[in-house]
Amino acid sequence: MDDPTLWHRLQFAFTIVYHYLFPQLTMGLGWFIVYWKWRAWRKGDERSAEAARYWAKIFGLTFAMGVVTGLPMEFQFGTNWAEFTKFSGGVIGQTLAMESMFAFLLESALVGALVWGEKRLGPRNHFIAALGVAAGSWISGYFIIVTNAFMQHPVGHATAADGTLYLGSLGEYLTNRWAIIQFAHNQCAALVTGSFVVAAAGAFYALRGQHAEQARLYLRQGTLVALVASVLVAFPTGDQQAKMVASHQGPTLAAMEGRFESGPMAEITLIGQPNIRERRLDNPIKVPGMLSFLAFGTFHSDVPGLDAFPADTWPSNIELLYYTFHVMAGLGTLFILIMGLAILQRLRGRLEHTRPLLWALMLAFPFPFIANTAGWMTAELGRQPWLIYGLFRTSQGASSVVGSGSVLFTLVGLAGLYFVLGLLYLFLVGHEVMKGPGTADEGPARYGERSGEESRHD
Amino acid sequence: MIELWFVILCFMLTMFAVLEGWDFGGGAVHLFVARTPAERREVIAAIGPLWSWHEVWLVGAGGTFMVAFPRAMATAFSGYYMALWLALWSFVLRGISIEVGGHLRDPLWQRFWDVVFAAANVLLAIIFGAALGNVIRGVPMDEGGRFSLALFTDFGVRGQVGILDWYTLLVALETLLILGAHGATYLTLKSSGPVHDRSRSMAGRLWLVAALVFPLVTYGTWAVRPDMFIHLLERPPGWVALAAIVAGAVAVFTGYRRRRESRTLAGSVLLIVGLLAATGVGVFPVLLHSTLSDRFSMTAGQAASGGTGLGLAIIWWPIALVLALVYFTFIAWQFRGKVRPSDDNQGYS
Repeated sequence: MDDPTLWHRLQFAFTIVYHYLFPQLTMGLGWFIVYWKWRAWRKGDERSAEAARYWAKIFGLTFAMGVVTGLPMEFQFGTNWAEFTKFSGGVIGQTLAMESMFAFLLESALVGALVWGEKRLGPRNHFIAALGVAAGSWISGYFIIVTNAFMQHPVGHATAADGTLYLGSLGEYLTNRWAIIQFAHNQCAALVTGSFVVAAAGAFYALRGQHAEQARLYLRQGTLVALVASVLVAFPTGDQQAKMVASHQGPTLAAMEGRFESGPMAEITLIGQPNIRERRLDNPIKVPGMLSFLAFGTFHSDVPGLDAFPADTWPSNIELLYYTFHVMAGLGTLFILIMGLAILQRLRGRLEHTRPLLWALMLAFPFPFIANTAGWMTAELGRQPWLIYGLFRTSQGASSVVGSGSVLFTLVGLAGLYFVLGLLYLFLVGHEVMKGPGTADEGPARYGERSGEESRHD
Repeated sequence: MIELWFVILCFMLTMFAVLEGWDFGGGAVHLFVARTPAERREVIAAIGPLWSWHEVWLVGAGGTFMVAFPRAMATAFSGYYMALWLALWSFVLRGISIEVGGHLRDPLWQRFWDVVFAAANVLLAIIFGAALGNVIRGVPMDEGGRFSLALFTDFGVRGQVGILDWYTLLVALETLLILGAHGATYLTLKSSGPVHDRSRSMAGRLWLVAALVFPLVTYGTWAVRPDMFIHLLERPPGWVALAAIVAGAVAVFTGYRRRRESRTLAGSVLLIVGLLAATGVGVFPVLLHSTLSDRFSMTAGQAASGGTGLGLAIIWWPIALVLALVYFTFIAWQFRGKVRPSDDNQGYS
């Protein structure tokens, strides 16, 4: 209770995990909407226009949640991590400012037009708005990942006379190899989330026998993108990411795999629990040689275990790191299987009629959110005990003037506020899903019009 | 370079104040100028498409503050820990209330979110006013460059001050009045019918009260930071800022009298820009003024990040600004003119 750093960490972890539930969906959904708006504009395809209209509403709600939960993130560097900001603000502030200037100003200018302006803009400009929003959300993702990549694998910086960091090379910083691989891996994972959600909506309507045409569209396009993206998440992007960890964060790889002892023919663990006190894995099921192969390319490579590193460079929570990594990798494998099955059924022409598969697709949509979260927890827990790998420890970073009680207060307050926001979001998305696509023109829901009927309610 | 980044930071905060100012102000007065749900939807449609674009200038200012003056950002934000979180929570509520209000066609639901929206906007205008007052008055920073502020202490402006005292409360009140008037002026331009007429009379009353309170605030500033006025008169940019304040006030007055709505709004923008520019010129080079002793104050030079970082950032910043103005022009052109309720409907037609 007395260590404020723990509460600062929990608050940042909670707010960033919660926040990222929304951007991963908007980054994934954005390109679906772009594609549909393009079809609507170039081919006059009313079915695609309808799909874009429906998903833009869900996109708008999700985007708004992302904006309101993202704003506190920028300020937390100053409120909660003041020492970290003093040390490295001159570097990481660059990409945080760039994110606002290059990405947010683009996205937020156009998202209003995407959600509010179909009639005012016309098909061409509305397509441009969709494109700008999708591109903006990915650019924003890149700047954030460059910031994170600097913390994982610092490049392009120099040290000033007073010991703080400043940016030495903008090019090196922005083209950090870690950032490029992590971005590819992360954006594919966002596409997995987006496509699973689209497919789940399709499965939901197909099972209920509603909106048959739209349901087929969501199912077919959703499962196709989901399969491609799920494969890309694992290979080559996930594979490359693991190799980066292997070559730059030795203790992290060892902890992710629960590998306590060094040696050749390193095995990969499918199941098992790390036992820190005894320094071994309990009840493991292993594939020999696999880790050597995945990390360094041959089955006989020597993969160092935790024993090869000083204990003060070990990740501070090995069990959690081990579990989040295995949850991510395990779910990723299942995603390929379920979407492979869906594509098989589609090739046999039975995607819309295989009810058990539709049930599975409908219920599968939360799992990419879990896998994305577990993946980010792997990255962030794996970085410990460093805030900037090899340069600055987490224990040095928190604000010195903010005590445990204050952080606990804001953490509890945020938990309450975000719980209410979550309920609100689920309620409204549920409401849109129940209304379904193409029904906006029916019923009395004229929004913003001065009708006599509305005035009477006041 | 340090002067340049100080100007950029002030520019971003001023963009935020002017643009979000009409959202805060419009939101704060909307329960008074719009009486039926449909009229309130008209107000929200005037604010709706761009509120997040306006808010981004604050996020951008946060990033700029961090890259240019990391030490000041870290010291100030952690010192204002609780107050900043209160502001952030209000932002969350404000953003959500705009977005969700229209999703359900239920009078109670919409009424609830309209009231949340108004309350969050009033609170935010007060918070930002108090923040401005705090920038001018200073913080109880000690020799080690640390401080932590209570919400209030004895309401005095020297020594161990709190966030709220007689001066910061006065600035907060004036900010609420000016932003309310600014927002009502904006609504006059964007709306038609009864909303337009009520916005106009609301703007007139608020401008009048703001003008009456203004000498008090000026006197208060003189009492708290006399050095600001000396800086202002010594430095040529200060003269420009003073000229902008006078020109803005005249344009508001004549524009309002002659029902030139664009001129009134331009005057209001100019007035806010002038006031903030005058504050910037007045406080420079001190970023965090210490109420304990001038020796403990933190200047921009002390707070700036070292080395080549700022030189690199000045390469990309203007490019980003030009791009941002391109999108803004595109969108402002698309949403030009009065709100058209049947078109500006969030897809819920």
